[in-house]
Amino acid sequence: MKFRNVKQYLNRIWILCFKDMKLYYFKGPTVVMGILMPLFIWLAFIVGRGFSFTRSLPMLIALSSFFTSSSITPIVMPWEARQKTLEMLLSRPVTIHIILLGTALASTLFGIFISSILVIVGLIINIIPLDLILLILGIVISSLCYSFMGLLFSAVPSNVPADAVMISSAVRLPLIFISGIFIPISDLPHYIKPFAFISPLTYFSDLINYTYGYNSLLSPLMDIVVLSFLTIMFMALAIITNRRVLMRRL
Amino acid sequence: MPLENVVKACDLTKTFGNIRAVDGVSFSVRKGEIYGLLGPNGAGKTTTIRMIIGIITPDRGEAYIMGYNVHKEPVKARSFIGVVPEISNPYVDLTLWENIMLTGGIYGVPKKVRAKRAKDLLKMLGIYEVRNRKVKTLSKGMQRRLLLAMALISDPNILFLDEPTSGLDVISARIIRSLLLKLKKQGKTIILTTHNIDEAGMLCDRVAIMNKGKIIAMGTPEELKIEFGEYTRILLCFNREIDIKLIEKHFNSYETVVQGRRLVIVCRSKDLREVLDQILHIVKTYDLNIEELQVSGLNFEDVFIRLIRERPK
Repeated sequence: MKFRNVKQYLNRIWILCFKDMKLYYFKGPTVVMGILMPLFIWLAFIVGRGFSFTRSLPMLIALSSFFTSSSITPIVMPWEARQKTLEMLLSRPVTIHIILLGTALASTLFGIFISSILVIVGLIINIIPLDLILLILGIVISSLCYSFMGLLFSAVPSNVPADAVMISSAVRLPLIFISGIFIPISDLPHYIKPFAFISPLTYFSDLINYTYGYNSLLSPLMDIVVLSFLTIMFMALAIITNRRVLMRRL
Repeated sequence: MPLENVVKACDLTKTFGNIRAVDGVSFSVRKGEIYGLLGPNGAGKTTTIRMIIGIITPDRGEAYIMGYNVHKEPVKARSFIGVVPEISNPYVDLTLWENIMLTGGIYGVPKKVRAKRAKDLLKMLGIYEVRNRKVKTLSKGMQRRLLLAMALISDPNILFLDEPTSGLDVISARIIRSLLLKLKKQGKTIILTTHNIDEAGMLCDRVAIMNKGKIIAMGTPEELKIEFGEYTRILLCFNREIDIKLIEKHFNSYETVVQGRRLVIVCRSKDLREVLDQILHIVKTYDLNIEELQVSGLNFEDVFIRLIRERPK
């Protein structure tokens, strides 16, 4: 009986995830914030600065994972509340947790998919990571982490998706500059360095540097542990905050 | 809770800001009946339904579906129900087929059963041919029928319908009404809110009339009519239009409605003779002809209006 309940629970999460994949992967904010934004930021940093494609590909993977995984989750709840489909879902046998986990899963899979394409492109042109398994593990955990981070932004008490996108961008954009992707953490001013260690992007950026054989600050195990911890923290916070604003949304 | 009562609302209360939208509402719905929640706009019908199905949490009170407390076991309780909300809310960027299959999936209906049931429902509701069209391209009537199909995909024991025919054309409204009667025959329990009194009188076994967040009357439509049995309704149709001032002058102590050549007077039965004398008097004085005359008890709409007027709380 318990196994059946777990199976039904997971099945509902998957069905809602599949719905989000169909509805939100090609929405304007997702394409702009999840695909175009990391690409343009990457181009802005590497063009004319003497970075080789081999050196800059890990940067692009880190940026893509970060932006893509956190592009869907901020918009789904405000969007669905506005369209009144959230109310429709809540009149079915699902809870807010199931809806949030479905959204987070769709966003995570989007991040994994886009990052995997970049890894495969790298493999094709002979940019081979030293530890492919660790890289895949890093992509999966970081995508989950960023996805739940995005879900936290969706708890903004507004049913206007642009409000959630604005807040998420205001937080995500500064993180690029302090997370060691383009500027090594050791080169950052001393008063910014502590903030670098709060950023979830720092740990994936560090891990990806390690897997492609570049200098890393922490051990890969530490990166994975911190990312896992942040994932759980963001998940808990996202569920609590979204539950709190739910009544105001409906 | 007796097994016959498949839905039970106990002392439901909800306040939004300074407004008490629902105030201590309690009622039970028996298995297999069509139960109507009637009332003017803003009476608290939709808020009551939203609390019963667990979308909003009441400030006070409890709701039960098939014996399950909706706020403590929402998934279990909601697995028995289908809901058609007041506002059309399928996913407009998905097709009809995708919407109905998504809903079936959430209820855990196996894929093959889901597909067969979806096909049957869409055919029955006359929207099977447009199943591959995106919902945003459909008319409001079709969207409403889709919502009904989505509510029925899990073959629920209980169906909640919030203003099911509101704003629909006559054909769509008729399709929905006949389906509801068919579902009742199959033993489904239906709870509907409406401000269409004729529809409620036609469909409902029992009704609760709400006003300003409270239930002001409850019973079968017939019982409520009997409650106002002391009243008589007179319908007249004259050969020409009548002046409202004239009617006000001669029937100022009675409730009257004038529409062109038609006049409706509601009076106590003991005053009937006096009213008929007055009618004959104006016919003679103003040289009118009576083309139609009906004297009857109050219809359900008259009862509803009197209840709202006479029992504001």
